[in-house]
Amino acid sequence: MTGITEYLILGAILFALGLVGFLSRRNLIVIFLSTELMFQGVVINAVAYARLHHHLQGQAFALFLLAIAAVEAGLALGMIVMLYKRKGTLDAEAWSVMRG
Amino acid sequence: MDIETLKLCGIVILLAPLAGAILAGALGSVLRGRTHWMAILGVGAAFAASIVIFIQVHGAHGEDVVASIPLYDWIANGTPSVFRFELLIDPLTSLMLLTVTGIALLVVIYSVGYMREHGKPERGYERFFAYLSLFVFAMCVLVLGGNFLLLYMGWEAVGLCSYLLIGFYYQRPAAAAAAKKAFLVNRVGDFGFGLAILLIYLTFGTLEYQPVFELVRQGITGDGFAVSQGTITAIALLLLCGACGKSAQLPLHVWLPDAMEGPSPVSALIHAATMVTAGVYMMARCGAIFSSSVTAMTVVAGIGAATALFAATIALVQTDMKRILAYSTISQLGYMVLGVGVYAADSAIFHLFTHAFFKALLFLGAGSVMHAMGGIIDLRRFGGLRRVLPWTFVTFVVGSLALAGFPMFSGFFSKDEIIHHALIAHPLLGAIGLLTALLTAFYTFRMVFLAFAGEERIPDGVHPHESGVWMLAPLCVLSIGAIGAGYLGIEATGRGLHEFLKPVFATTFVTNMPAYDVHAGHGFWAEYGLMAFSGGLAIIGILAAYVIYVQQQWFAGLTKTTFPQIYWTLWNKWHVDEAYDAVLVKPMRKGGKVCVGLDDYLIDGLLWFITAIPRGLGYLLRTMQSGLMQGYALSMVAGMAIIIVLVFWS
Repeated sequence: MTGITEYLILGAILFALGLVGFLSRRNLIVIFLSTELMFQGVVINAVAYARLHHHLQGQAFALFLLAIAAVEAGLALGMIVMLYKRKGTLDAEAWSVMRG
Repeated sequence: MDIETLKLCGIVILLAPLAGAILAGALGSVLRGRTHWMAILGVGAAFAASIVIFIQVHGAHGEDVVASIPLYDWIANGTPSVFRFELLIDPLTSLMLLTVTGIALLVVIYSVGYMREHGKPERGYERFFAYLSLFVFAMCVLVLGGNFLLLYMGWEAVGLCSYLLIGFYYQRPAAAAAAKKAFLVNRVGDFGFGLAILLIYLTFGTLEYQPVFELVRQGITGDGFAVSQGTITAIALLLLCGACGKSAQLPLHVWLPDAMEGPSPVSALIHAATMVTAGVYMMARCGAIFSSSVTAMTVVAGIGAATALFAATIALVQTDMKRILAYSTISQLGYMVLGVGVYAADSAIFHLFTHAFFKALLFLGAGSVMHAMGGIIDLRRFGGLRRVLPWTFVTFVVGSLALAGFPMFSGFFSKDEIIHHALIAHPLLGAIGLLTALLTAFYTFRMVFLAFAGEERIPDGVHPHESGVWMLAPLCVLSIGAIGAGYLGIEATGRGLHEFLKPVFATTFVTNMPAYDVHAGHGFWAEYGLMAFSGGLAIIGILAAYVIYVQQQWFAGLTKTTFPQIYWTLWNKWHVDEAYDAVLVKPMRKGGKVCVGLDDYLIDGLLWFITAIPRGLGYLLRTMQSGLMQGYALSMVAGMAIIIVLVFWS
């Protein structure tokens, strides 16, 4: 078993896609999906390194990350529902009360 | 005396009322209408322990009657000495303890009946009993303490408790103002007292009673140098300043008449057993210091006599029963201070002892009248109550006879002794004492006749009723004391009280007494003639009051119309309050306004200027905040990119 370059490239692509999506989209749900995409890029990195070093730490770590991501998804979607109820829109620009 | 027993009793006397106060306060919301048991048990235990101490001291002989009992090291400050929490038990202490706890117990019992409206506990019922119990604790610390520091602690704690109790009805502005006044006026006296204690410490290097008094007697400082007469006089006068505040002597008497804004039992407690007796006790305790300075003693006697006469004149025209009683207290305290000032401290303590009974009786009686009249205490609005309130009437008359110095009642013996000694030492002051005795009898019975004699007059809408057994029982007990307490001190019973107190004053007032013309004061005619004369004065005063206020009532209004100036001066209490207002209160209020102006414009302006700098900077920087989530995310990414570039570049 040689290099893990391919895996890392795949992770990097997922992360970059997510980042671009996060920065460019306006819809709150799509923004949230983009963060999930970045998450998966990181998880792939963790699994790839676990394979390289022949132990299970990375894999266990990946499982925890998935669990946390699921919890976070529940919370985030709940918050998005609340925000939608307030303003009737999913546009992120509707929320800018912190402007100085 | 058995030291272990005394120690145990001393601890009980201190801790039982304190525990009563804490329990009444903490469990008050649970116990509600039964809270009084905490105070009754606490003070009752202290009273029982006081009796044990009294029996122990009474049974002792010679040198053995003084016991100093250290409990623990209180403030260990290294050099030069440790302040110990120690108790001093001697005849003076034991007698004071008996008076304080005994009267307080009766007052607490009376309060159970008094602090109720339509049979239900009044608002703040549990708070009241917690304060009462705390008051007793404070007074016991003051009396039992074996050094000046404990005396000062008790002294201040008593002041605090009086503040709390006078302001008990804090919803009423008058009560809140009276409480504040009592506290502030007392602070003036306490300041002098504090200075006296500092001066004692600087001069003698210790604050324990016995060493200090021993050094004063030998006339040397703590370092062994001779102590100057001026220092002793200064200490004595500063102590007197403290006593004037607590015992309501001129010119610091103004708080006591206002103190009746508190509930009547509180007045009884303050005027009879606790608080005002503290000053007299302190002067008797510090007899070594006072009696070493002839100047100070003369000032003491002068202030006492002046106060006695001054307060008696005011009491002549007042119409508020409790106010008359308050001025009579000031007047009687004047007698006690006069007694100390003429080297008759044992007579002063004797008068303190008898006064405690009849003054508590009178105040509780006035409270009973007030209770029946629905809170009204003005003599112009009721009268002829002897049939409606028979028990109150009888006990009140007994108290009044004792206060007036009617022959064979307690006040007669003790007051007569003080006047006797005053006539020997300072004939003029003795004469003032006699004049005051006449006035006392007159104003006391003016009050009695206006309230109880004549035809029945009752305010509209009031349905008077005699008080319940909780209130009448203490009145009856105190009546017995008001009649009988005087016999403890007279010649016929072997001068019991004087012999008892002798060890305390033998080395102070007695040895330091200047050589007056000894023959003047003794012999059958000097002693019994004076007795007959002052007894006669009391009877004349009472008869005059009877003639003016019962038989020839047209006479009563005559002074008001003939000498309006005198009448209104007395009615306005010699304008002392107004003078204080003009000289002290108003200028200080103006000073306060200047300070407010400075605060508003100068200090606030400066602060505004200083805070303007960060505010301006913030105004510049906050334009960077867009408020958009993705904007913040972008700057995070940019920051991350910069870090990555920096890391890989280097």
